[in-house]
Parts: sequence; C-alpha cells; structure tokens
Amino acid sequence: MGTRGLVVDVLIALGVTGEVVCVVGLLAGRTAIDRLHYAAAATTLPPAFVAAAVVVEEGGSSAAINAIVVAVLVLTLGSALTHATARVAHGRGEGR
Amino acid sequence: MNPWLAAAAVLLAGVVPCGWLCVRGTRMDALVALELTTTLVTLTLLLLAEGFQRSSYFVLALGAAALGFVGNLVFVHFVEREL
Repeated sequence: MGTRGLVVDVLIALGVTGEVVCVVGLLAGRTAIDRLHYAAAATTLPPAFVAAAVVVEEGGSSAAINAIVVAVLVLTLGSALTHATARVAHGRGEGR
Repeated sequence: MNPWLAAAAVLLAGVVPCGWLCVRGTRMDALVALELTTTLVTLTLLLLAEGFQRSSYFVLALGAAALGFVGNLVFVHFVEREL
C-alpha cells in the first residue's frame, strides 16, 4: 500500500469514526437539543473527511467534484436544517 | 471488500440505532434521529459509488443530500404546526 492508499484509509477511518461517535452521542443524549448537537456535528467534519478521501483517490475527476459538492451541500443544508429544528425544539420547551 | 464498502457497511449499521430512536423516542427525538439518518445514508451512497468505481452513482448521493434536506424540512414544518 502506497502513501496515497494510507492517506485514503486514514481519511475514511476519520470520517466513519466521526459518524459513529455522533450516533453514540445521539443515543446518549438526554434531550432533543442534546441529541441535535450530535446530529449537527455529523454534517460538518465527517463528510469533509470522506470527500477528501475521494479527492485523494480520484484526483481532479468528476467523482471528486461530485464528492466535494455533496460535502458542501450536507454542510450548508444541514446547518440550516439544524437551525430550523432547534427553533421548533425550543418552542416545544425541549432541553429546559 | 475494499475499504470504501467496509466503511459504507459501518455507516449503514449506524442507521439501526437511529431507527430505534425514531420508533421509541419522542417526536422531537425522532426528528433529530431522522436528520442524522439522512446524513448517514448520503455518506453511505457516496462511499458505495466510490467503492463500486461507478462515477454515475455519485448522482444518488447528490440527490440524497438535496432531497433529504427538503424532506426533513417538511417534517420540521409538520412538527412545528403541531405546537
């Protein structure tokens, strides 16, 4: 396995570990707001790690561009969705 | 099995606890679990596309990212109206 393969494996492992930590946090959270923190965290770094792994593997191909677009979409739309959900949770008195 | 497919399998396994929370938790808990599930499924599709070496499959991940957001917003809207 070359250096590139090692970097790809490390990036994939980081992305998957991040998502697994978020799933565990979702189960461990006591209120919906607590859980929302982990659901929001899952849209930030882990998709970026996976997209970076695809970019390292594929170079400048269309697959790499697609992966970057997916990561950016998940990040931007995820944060908007988190805001909307937190607003509703606050209105329902969750996390108080 | 290459690392991409193994990672996709692990992420897909993460959908199970989210589904459990959707069934057993409150409506807000279920909504949050659904949001995390959308992220997991989107990344799983991304990993599967790379694992199978089919660039056309990346469109599925793109669609899941965009449509998942819209679908979740609809659920947020319904839960908000329930107030």
